Amino acid sequence: MGRVPIIKIGDTLIATVQEDLHDRDALDLQADVSQALERTGARGVLLDLTVVEIIDSFLGRTIADIARLVRLLGARTVVVGIQPSVAITLVELGLELRGVPAALNVEQGLGLLRRLNGREARNERRRLV
Amino acid sequence: MQGDTIREQQAQLEEQRQTIRELTTPVLQVWDRILALPIVGGLDTARTQEMNEALLQKIVETGSEIVILDITGVPVIDSAVARHLLETVAAARLLGAEVLLVGLSTHTALTLVHLGLDLGGVTTRLTMAKGLELAFARLGLRVVADGVAPPSGDGSVA
Repeated sequence: MGRVPIIKIGDTLIATVQEDLHDRDALDLQADVSQALERTGARGVLLDLTVVEIIDSFLGRTIADIARLVRLLGARTVVVGIQPSVAITLVELGLELRGVPAALNVEQGLGLLRRLNGREARNERRRLV
Repeated sequence: MQGDTIREQQAQLEEQRQTIRELTTPVLQVWDRILALPIVGGLDTARTQEMNEALLQKIVETGSEIVILDITGVPVIDSAVARHLLETVAAARLLGAEVLLVGLSTHTALTLVHLGLDLGGVTTRLTMAKGLELAFARLGLRVVADGVAPPSGDGSVA
């Protein structure tokens, strides 16, 4: 299994999953994302799941974990490209990825990240006042 | 050839079922990036599944970010129906679309409160019109009168 490439554009990291993720790959992704965040100080992580056809409970939990981890490192995660059939399965499994913002595609995901980080910036300013 | 007749009838029945299914779950694109889903009749598991599939497909096709779920035509909201509605909300959210629930009657709202059912932070509005207004606001759109049309005429959207 190949690693998921993580590319940096501006202060956003984009991790595009290339094939179905097995447990090991998911854990590798989690480690890679946190290391990349640490290295780059990015403010956002975009997790592109377009090609993923199966999300089981482990992967679902790992994705939620990645989002929490990223949050602790001062950035936000948006998952994009979840297929309709995958979304239905997730909901049936009770894995609704609560707390993980989602968007239809990379473009809308970038917009959402910008909005999330913008809102955060406004809150920071308010706290300073 | 009694077998043939029965088969024919079954085929016909299946066809009618299909027609009813299609009729009961139309997904309308009411504006760029806004879908509306008027639900008429009760919601059971099978219907919710079909509705979800149709809705998610349409979200992907149109790149929609807002879905207005109109439950004016749902006679009774019990815990099962509420659960189905929440499934739809969750599934749409995974595709990046926000669901606005409109058309709750006061009767329905009372029932929900009495049953202790929480619609889990789903944004609700009284009517489709109010829902559409919120959807426009979410997308940064504004409805303004152009001053040309008579006051009673259709409003225009900028």
